[in-house]
Amino acid sequence: MFRLQGSKVLAVDMTGDAVKAKNGSMVAYDGQMAFKKLSGGGEGLRGMVTRRLTGEQMTVMEVRGQGTCWFADRASEINLVSLRGDTLHVESSNLLATDAGLRTGTTFTGLRGASQGNGLFTTTVEGHGQAAILSDGPAVVLRVSPQYPLTVDPGAYIAHQGSVRQSFQSGVTFRTLLGEGGGEAFQIRFEGDGLVYVQPSERNTIAGEV
Amino acid sequence: MSAYGAPGGPVVHDPTTLPADDNVNAYTFCVELKGGQWFLQKGKMIAYYGAIEFNGVGHGRLDRLVRTAFHSPLHASDWVVAAGSGKMLLADRAFDVNSYDLDDGNLTIRAGNLLAFQPTLALKQSIVPGFLTLIGTGKFVAASNGPVVFLEPPIRVDPQALVGWADCPSPCHHYDHGYLTGVLGGLRAMTGLGGASGEEHQFEFVGAGTVLLQSSEALMAEVATGAVPPEVGVPGGGGTGPVGHGPQSSGAPRLPGQLGDLQRRFGL
Repeated sequence: MFRLQGSKVLAVDMTGDAVKAKNGSMVAYDGQMAFKKLSGGGEGLRGMVTRRLTGEQMTVMEVRGQGTCWFADRASEINLVSLRGDTLHVESSNLLATDAGLRTGTTFTGLRGASQGNGLFTTTVEGHGQAAILSDGPAVVLRVSPQYPLTVDPGAYIAHQGSVRQSFQSGVTFRTLLGEGGGEAFQIRFEGDGLVYVQPSERNTIAGEV
Repeated sequence: MSAYGAPGGPVVHDPTTLPADDNVNAYTFCVELKGGQWFLQKGKMIAYYGAIEFNGVGHGRLDRLVRTAFHSPLHASDWVVAAGSGKMLLADRAFDVNSYDLDDGNLTIRAGNLLAFQPTLALKQSIVPGFLTLIGTGKFVAASNGPVVFLEPPIRVDPQALVGWADCPSPCHHYDHGYLTGVLGGLRAMTGLGGASGEEHQFEFVGAGTVLLQSSEALMAEVATGAVPPEVGVPGGGGTGPVGHGPQSSGAPRLPGQLGDLQRRFGL
């Protein structure tokens, strides 16, 4: 059972079950806990090779036991996401913890990943359960619905869930080359039905410079 | 109703629940555009609904708008104009953001703190280097490191905590002179030995108005405010004044660690 204690500490109550969490993110626990490093994020040999090849690396530990375990990472804000059979797409660096029952994997993101400066691949989390994601400043959750498509700055995007299509928009024109660009040359457009998480801060991206 | 975002979970926003021209939370501000325009600093938009176009201030069709609302031609490249209709979210490095209303008034603000403003305001470069002045009626959005505190002059403030000021005509430097006079005082000020408190230098404001302070002494990154013309008499313009009298106009720039101040104290 995931719950937030404040906005920067995640408390997980466990009764003999397990969670997967970012390596080294445990700050305290009471009760009996066992920490085990999962090579390759617990995705088996294939997942390990995929992560190594794609650069979407994730060092994950499995925490199992009885009691409460607290997790935190660099005083980043933590957001809880509940999944009911749908898929959460998140950058591996923004993923703090998932229920052990959730499957994690890697997918290709194409140009969106490139414009974010996070590589061409992203992490997927699917199944039923809860996950905790990290953001710089509290994330704003925005709904995407067929009548309201959403456009997001790649540097502020952290995660999305649901059945949304994403397309990459580029506003690069000759003006950009003259240094007269709109400052928002790359954007990701989300259409469909789902939720998008954005953080009130922008990572340094190529897009931020033009 | 979509299947995502069950009750009890985090607040999920969509265009109908997002506020119009107000804060979503302490770090995110939502601007509603209804065919109007807003000036914003490059790269501070994090997401938008609707059809919004971002154009550099140099864009030809915006010439008239820029002429009336934007008077700092040399930092035009740091600003863009958002036009269209929809709702747009602004944020800056997870700093606190707040909106302020000016009613036929003026406000001077540190250039790095200003995020966005309505074109009914005119943006001008302040005479004080690194600051911008907004004049007119309208709304603007500013970021600060921690919440902003409003204070009434007369007041002396720490230089790092100053965000801006409204209506005060007299920002000036203030030194705790008594503490710094004499040979020992000079040594103290230069070396920090013997207990410099780090608060010997303040900004002083007098007169009617409001002073805005942030609740932290961590400055936000400087944003280039553009160069001023290299004219004689323009602060920061780089033009050297006419050669005057006294030690102030001794020409060669003083290096750090040089005993210039002591020399002057001893009349050398």
